[in-house]
Amino acid sequence: MSEEKALAAEVRGVTKAYGPIVALSDVSFRLRLGEIHALVGHNGAGKSTFVKVLSGVVSPDQGEVLVYGQPVAFKTPRQAQAAGIAVVEQELSLVPALTVLDNILLGRVDPFGGQTRSAFLAGVQDLLAQLGLRDVRLSTVVEDLTMAERQLVEIARALSRDARILILDEPTATLGESEIERVFAGVRKLADKGCSVIFVSHRLGEVLDLCSQVTVFRDGRMIASHPAAEMTRAGIVELMLGKVSEKAESAMREGARRDGLVDIDGLTVPGQIKDFSLKANGGEIIAIAGQVGSGASEVLRALGGLIPQARGRVTIAGQPMRLGGPQRSARAGVVFASNDRKGEGLFLQQSVARNLLAVRLKAVSRFGFVSGAKAATLARRLAGLIGFDEKRLGAAVLTLSGGNQQKVFLGRCIERQGTQLLLFDEPTRGVDVGGRADIHNLVRHAASTGNCVIFVSSELDEILDLAHTVVTVFAGRITRIGRRREMTAAGILAEITSGSAAGAAP
Amino acid sequence: MSETISSAASRVALRASGKPKPATFAMYVFVGLVAALVIVGAFTTQGFLTAGNFRAIITSAAFVGIMAVGATLIMLGGSLFSISLGLTTALTSIIFMYALSLGIVPAMLAALLAGTLIFMVQGAIIGAIGANPIIVTIGAGAIQDGLIGWISPGDVVPPPGVDIDFLARTYFNLPVSVYVFIAVAIVTDLRVRRSQFGRELYMLGENPRAARAAGLPVERLTITAFAVSGCCVAIAAILIAGFAKNVNLQVQGTYTFDVIAAILVGGNAVTGGRGSVGRTVVGALVIATISDILLLLGASTGMQTLVKGLIVLVVVVLLHLTQREGRAS
Amino acid sequence: MSISGDAPARPTPISRRIQTVMPYVLLAVMVGVLLALPLLTGQSATAFNVYDALQLWSAYGLVTLGVGLTMIAGEFDFGVLGVFAFCPMIAVKIGEYDATLGLALALGFAALIGFLQGVIVAKLRLHSMPVTLGFYIALLGATMTIGHSQSVSFSNFDLGTALDAQKLQILSWRSLIAIAAFAGIYLVMRFTPLGRDIRAVGGDRRASRMVGVEVDRVLILVFVVSAVCSALGGIMQAYSFATALSDPGQMPLKYGVTAAILGGVSLVGGIGGALGIAVGALTLSLLQELFSILAAPTWVSNLITGVLLVLATIAAAPDLSARWQSLRTPRVLPASPPTPAAE
Repeated sequence: MSEEKALAAEVRGVTKAYGPIVALSDVSFRLRLGEIHALVGHNGAGKSTFVKVLSGVVSPDQGEVLVYGQPVAFKTPRQAQAAGIAVVEQELSLVPALTVLDNILLGRVDPFGGQTRSAFLAGVQDLLAQLGLRDVRLSTVVEDLTMAERQLVEIARALSRDARILILDEPTATLGESEIERVFAGVRKLADKGCSVIFVSHRLGEVLDLCSQVTVFRDGRMIASHPAAEMTRAGIVELMLGKVSEKAESAMREGARRDGLVDIDGLTVPGQIKDFSLKANGGEIIAIAGQVGSGASEVLRALGGLIPQARGRVTIAGQPMRLGGPQRSARAGVVFASNDRKGEGLFLQQSVARNLLAVRLKAVSRFGFVSGAKAATLARRLAGLIGFDEKRLGAAVLTLSGGNQQKVFLGRCIERQGTQLLLFDEPTRGVDVGGRADIHNLVRHAASTGNCVIFVSSELDEILDLAHTVVTVFAGRITRIGRRREMTAAGILAEITSGSAAGAAP
Repeated sequence: MSETISSAASRVALRASGKPKPATFAMYVFVGLVAALVIVGAFTTQGFLTAGNFRAIITSAAFVGIMAVGATLIMLGGSLFSISLGLTTALTSIIFMYALSLGIVPAMLAALLAGTLIFMVQGAIIGAIGANPIIVTIGAGAIQDGLIGWISPGDVVPPPGVDIDFLARTYFNLPVSVYVFIAVAIVTDLRVRRSQFGRELYMLGENPRAARAAGLPVERLTITAFAVSGCCVAIAAILIAGFAKNVNLQVQGTYTFDVIAAILVGGNAVTGGRGSVGRTVVGALVIATISDILLLLGASTGMQTLVKGLIVLVVVVLLHLTQREGRAS
Repeated sequence: MSISGDAPARPTPISRRIQTVMPYVLLAVMVGVLLALPLLTGQSATAFNVYDALQLWSAYGLVTLGVGLTMIAGEFDFGVLGVFAFCPMIAVKIGEYDATLGLALALGFAALIGFLQGVIVAKLRLHSMPVTLGFYIALLGATMTIGHSQSVSFSNFDLGTALDAQKLQILSWRSLIAIAAFAGIYLVMRFTPLGRDIRAVGGDRRASRMVGVEVDRVLILVFVVSAVCSALGGIMQAYSFATALSDPGQMPLKYGVTAAILGGVSLVGGIGGALGIAVGALTLSLLQELFSILAAPTWVSNLITGVLLVLATIAAAPDLSARWQSLRTPRVLPASPPTPAAE
């Protein structure tokens, strides 16, 4: 047995809890030298906490971490870096205004690593070439590079700091296929040279393509770890899911059903969405299932008018709607709720009441002046609808819990005159179980009044619970549109992680 | 998941010990000091505690106050301030004087229109294209400077036979400008606090991305804010013309920075979304009072300016620190 | 089939191309106009005009350097106006007794003021505008107090004369000192980690912090350099005119901002360099000189400068391309065939 093969890193029995929430529970993990090791798991499985433990951002409550056989206890990311561990996050930390070389040199304690300038530059150019960036000059400004190239530059930067263990967090989420190939080629070369890679990803096809070992996390535990050759996509999906109660389809409250309320034809955003077409009825709840970077969010944003380069034909209630401006969408009766409620949604310093009424002041005003009485009445009514304590209407939204904030945010969207289509991007992100139920009721209520609701979610439970129709998206395209009763959790997961139904040949 | 935890934690921390934190404490101390200063000044300075002096204070605050009230809207909406406000004051007062040959009312209308339009154009460039306010207003200032030089190389006086003394008359011992200040302040405050426009303006200033995503008419809000500000500048310019009887480039005086100082000292956030017209009025009065005390004490203009700058600095720093503590868990 | 295809690197955005090339194009146009002047109006630009322009450049150009550097770092420094007024006053007042001491004190004060501004902005995470504005007003007041709201004359005429003595027809010690300052900053910006850090801090502060750049230190340094450069410009001008003004007005800042924009400094931070700033300031000085040759009234020069600035700002505005895109969205696209099921 070759169990004695050298380990680049080993994690034994690590547990990490944040108060009552256990993010990692007795997790073990072994990274062999020169291995490309996949880490997969659905949302909330504990992948990001695990990465944080390895990279020194957080310390485990229990368990030990060994790097090259030596036990380590990182207190800061710098220490992890010194030990040779580098993480390439999904959110790149390159400064777009600077050149490739400048970015690589940025923040280095020892500029040329003891070498002469020309030797160092040659080394960097070599590194880039190895990663497939042969034609990218060091003097190129990062802003001019494609996302794939930026990703590779970020990897090159990590390596130039003598990283021996590289953790890639969703590196391909926003890349196109050929770009992904470039990244993979680069990563393979790294492994050949003795670098060990942990590849965190949702995209199972790629995982099986690139990696030699696959570890599956679920609910904070390490569920299984097998050589990639022994696994299939369907098998991984099953492991990721565990037991999911296949709920019966929630009764669609038909309400004032209006056929053909929403007609989306050929919606395209260069680089993100290709040819998205969908027909929807009033009273219908549609889920767009897709992982981060699949284009699901972008569909909603485009419909909400926030993407100027969006192209396509959209008709709402028989009227064509022009894309590219949020006010145009609003006039057409489209209401959009971003997945970033703090940055692009709520007005945190203002009161709950003000937020609820934020976009419907006209309804409570006369001659341009807001009627205090009408506003208070409407605010109370909305608070009742969203299950929010009336007495706290005057509190600043900043002081609320995540769940309540989300309720207020969505409460702002409902019961508005002239609404035809509601777009909710990740409606229960950062919301606990109790709040989720309330929000789901909100969504159903919104649809019951005859509006069409389209929501994006990466929570399978939620999709199965709420939706009448499920649209799965992968790499910017629709892979399947189906009625809820035709879909299973496993099926949806398979679609969004690899673009084809589970059971098809990997 | 972790989100709920951190916000829960922050709620707990806010409810924790009722003792004020350092910067909040310092803020109380500062306000107390200023109050004490005013009181001490009141009793020790010759002539401070007289009706005449109070009238002088509010009179000196009136012109700046009128313009500051309008300019508050610009800051509330997140477009910072105009660095050429004084030049617009001068230009509109010159236009007023020239237009007097057509009659008093047409002249007022011309000035109001000019002021509003000049600001609106800048607001349009800033709101619709997202250009930087400081740069645009510097550029617009240079253009206005040029226009002033072109249309009036020297002093401009009212045409013979036209009497604009009524603009400077006093009623019940207070000049017209004070009444106008009070009226403008009340009207603008109402508009900002109670109207749909005002509420939306606050939202725009606090979180422009959210305002845009929500479909609020963001360009329109900015342009309107600038328009109101321009109108206020024109109103003040007309009164100044009535007061000074002859106008030229020098009318701009120190108005630009006096207005900004009044808004900041009142406690409005420079990045927008926080503050009010009322605060600006307080700021204008505070500056006027302190300048008055200094004046009575024999301090030079330079000294007054120095103190004004220090007050702005202290208020801005303390306010920021207090807010930061209020938000930190 | 990928959705982005084998996309080549995206083409350089127009606004950046404009920003890179603009300073030099403008300078070339300016020089061209000056050379062609005899043909156009019968007047001609002499070596003295160049000298004069360089004199202006050595005062306001240094202020431009300060303002521009802070803009590259993503901040805004009103304080340059304050030190432009205050430090020359100190230099002149103290210089009555001891010129070297006066100079040293004045520059020392400048460094201190820059340091204070930098600390407040960096450590307290405050917006630079109100802070530097407060400093400006306070320093202006201090200047007016020291100078009793009048111009203060400097009896050491020799110093001014020496500074102004024409060298090689167009230069002087003043412009040489300014050139040295620009050269020094240029070398630092181009060849040292600090230069990189400054642009990083302005380009993406969050990313810079994550990558390990000492953001606070960089900001403080930038404010110090900004203050010292502006002070230097003002001091040399004061020596040259043998007068320190109680209130030099806002022209230095307006000039500085205009020149920085023309010099390719970006309003959003991270873009720009000492060379571009020098060129932008030079272009503006030559423009002023042109107006003076043509005996154009001040209002014309103001008007043209203002229009130039507004145009340059609009061209560099970030939202412009987004607006343009959304305006170009056609109302209706030809219908596309129904989406096939996934392959």
